[in-house]
Amino acid sequence: MERNPDKFWNPYLAGAVLGLVLLSAFVVMGKGLGASNTSLRLGVTAMEAVAPGHVATTPALAKTRADGHPLDNWLVFEVLGVLLGGFVGAYTSGRLGKETLKGPRIGNPGRWAMAFGGGALMGAAAYMGRGCTSGQALTGGALLSAGAWVFMFSVFGGGYALAYFVRRAWR
Amino acid sequence: MSFFPFESLVGLQRELGLVVGVLIGFGFGFTLERAGFGRAQKLVGQFYGYDMTVFKVMFGAIVTAMLGLVVLSGLGLADFRAIAEKAASSTYLWPMLVGGLLLGVGFIVSGYCPGTSWVAAASGKLDGLATVLGVIAGQVAYAELLSIPAVARFHSSGDLGALFLWDLLKLPNKVGPQAVAIAVTAMAVGCFIGVEKLEKLLSARADPAARATPAGRPGRFVFAGLAASALVGLALLALPTGTLAARQPRVIAPLELARRVLDEPWKVRVIDLRDPKACAEKRIPGSECLAPADLGKLGLAYANPARDLVLVGDADLQPVPKEALAYGGVLAVLQGGWKGWQAFALEPPAPPAPGASPAEMETFRLRAGLQSALTGMKAAPPPPPPSAAPAGPPRKGGGGCGS
Repeated sequence: MERNPDKFWNPYLAGAVLGLVLLSAFVVMGKGLGASNTSLRLGVTAMEAVAPGHVATTPALAKTRADGHPLDNWLVFEVLGVLLGGFVGAYTSGRLGKETLKGPRIGNPGRWAMAFGGGALMGAAAYMGRGCTSGQALTGGALLSAGAWVFMFSVFGGGYALAYFVRRAWR
Repeated sequence: MSFFPFESLVGLQRELGLVVGVLIGFGFGFTLERAGFGRAQKLVGQFYGYDMTVFKVMFGAIVTAMLGLVVLSGLGLADFRAIAEKAASSTYLWPMLVGGLLLGVGFIVSGYCPGTSWVAAASGKLDGLATVLGVIAGQVAYAELLSIPAVARFHSSGDLGALFLWDLLKLPNKVGPQAVAIAVTAMAVGCFIGVEKLEKLLSARADPAARATPAGRPGRFVFAGLAASALVGLALLALPTGTLAARQPRVIAPLELARRVLDEPWKVRVIDLRDPKACAEKRIPGSECLAPADLGKLGLAYANPARDLVLVGDADLQPVPKEALAYGGVLAVLQGGWKGWQAFALEPPAPPAPGASPAEMETFRLRAGLQSALTGMKAAPPPPPPSAAPAGPPRKGGGGCGS
């Protein structure tokens, strides 16, 4: 396979393949895809190393230990697969490499700060919405969940509403 | 009985299920990377109108998975509603609305969504890594905030239960998913065509950033595939092997039922199908005694599906009565029936070891309370838990149904 970092799959084909991956999760496991719950589990694992008593007394954090270790969970293994798949995909397309992706008018530290801040906002929002774009919009959307469709339109609404104000970061 | 999903992968063969999880995740991550979702500019292009890839991939995936499940349900191999109830979360209107808006804002600021940030980090993008760390921090911070009663109240506001688009249209489970799926497919294809036109328009304006991703031949193949699946899904409606025949109720464990009966009795309806005399003597708090022959008189097919219906037999209920299968909401059967409940509630629980987690303490408290209610006091609700929770909605006792 030629390695051309600027060449992507046809978007509709990528969508169909992604849909088949999602369908396989539905029919084989009876589960959907997810990304943000693993973040909570990683956070709890890190906190247990620092302040073990605190996790036990905070119900929302202790919930991740209901089945034993916080990382002993299907979604954590699924995200492990996402990391492997992302790595292999980037390697075979020539897109693997240490770099910071940003618009021309912003520096690296600024970009990292925005990435972290936006990530933190998404982390809270995903907990609030019972899932992120993977676990709620994609999974719930395909299963025609009413809440997932509300969530999905809200995501696009939120993005379009703010896009103008952060345009200098991207263009 | 549905062929899919393979229940053993979450039960007996859990390790194999985890391996499957890694494989499915691999497919997810690889596809996201190849779609270009490991690159922030490609993702945010959606919000500046110069690159509609996000929309195309996302709706393409939603429609594909949805139609696939519709076809499998039509063939009787899976049950759309059962899988939807299992894999999708309940609808909490307000937090989902606000969470979606905030996630959109976080998306345009960070350049990724939580899933794609993993892919970006795996391909060496430092901004992706920063987003991953941010999502971890945000999740933990929100979990901390949930200790504040007002936040917790908002978090569970607008609770509409397991609500699906065909429920909103008052369509039955047998035809609802198919009908809505076909409407969604038509809408998505219409949007795809509109988006292609929009991209052409933008590239005609010679915007240097405009990088159109035209449908091309592969795109037309995908459209044809989607249209064909939609037609197959429609045709399968005529088959007698509807999802109703294939419907399989959930199995609910005694512990889960006890939790729900105590914590949210307004969301469960327990129907005891044992001999009415035995039921009158002792039953699960809040349950209704009913002879199986009278089940048809309840009109379950037309009953409000907001409450989950739990059936209790002498032992595992087999077969599940036809009348109950017609119920529109979540249908569950108590694991082990009354015998299972008795073994769970009569056997004194082992006290947890010192330093046990709050979850273990909670389980013990619940079992101990149930046990004393069922063995000790007659015709009295179970005592309130020894240390009342400081906040949150008041816990309902066992109701006035005695023990």
